Amino acid sequence: MALEKELATYRRKLPELKSSEGRFVLIHGDDVADTYSSYDDAIKEGYGKFGLEPFLVKQIQSVEQVQFVTRFVAPHTLADAL
Amino acid sequence: MPHFTLQVTPAGPIVDAFVGVSAARQAALQAAGQQVPMPVRIRALVDTGASATCIDPSVPVALGLTPTGNISMTTPSTGTTPHSADVYDVALLIPGPTFPPLTLPTIPVAAVDLLQAQGFHALIGRDILGACVFHYNGAVGTFTLAF
Repeated sequence: MALEKELATYRRKLPELKSSEGRFVLIHGDDVADTYSSYDDAIKEGYGKFGLEPFLVKQIQSVEQVQFVTRFVAPHTLADAL
Repeated sequence: MPHFTLQVTPAGPIVDAFVGVSAARQAALQAAGQQVPMPVRIRALVDTGASATCIDPSVPVALGLTPTGNISMTTPSTGTTPHSADVYDVALLIPGPTFPPLTLPTIPVAAVDLLQAQGFHALIGRDILGACVFHYNGAVGTFTLAF
């Protein structure tokens, strides 16, 4: 699964990240780089710091908001393609 | 406010658009001495029923992208149990018949299957529409997007 390590880091660090609810966290491997007020800033910093290596940008949410699509489509991950 | 008006097609309010690598990824590719892929031309449905903008997985593959995010999503295919979807950072440009085009240099898009079979590659969701005015004039068969 893509970003497996980063997603595990996010879940592990979520209790301490909750004070930054709504901000965007940048995670590389096991490390939380920082949090940002906008998606754009977090992505820019991700490429600036880590180049083309994998990194995760995720909005910090105590309870993850589920996105909803009424059209008949199927959520896709790279793991699905393997 | 810049805007354009297009005809509603039998498949709904569809726009021709271009998806490319985000501005930040473009800079990283150039810094690494790698070629920046050309934007991919797509057909996108403006869909008020989609809370997030979605894209067919073939588009990030064509752009050589790897995911930089992940969201939970429910659709009619998932039932009530949310499923995980990869998220990619991309640039989106919608060149309407009037200038300027709608240009979004860095936005997140979620990968979903089964779009191409429905005649398009992307759903323009409410995350983008939230910054626009979308007017659907069914009486004359047009829609207007102002941004």
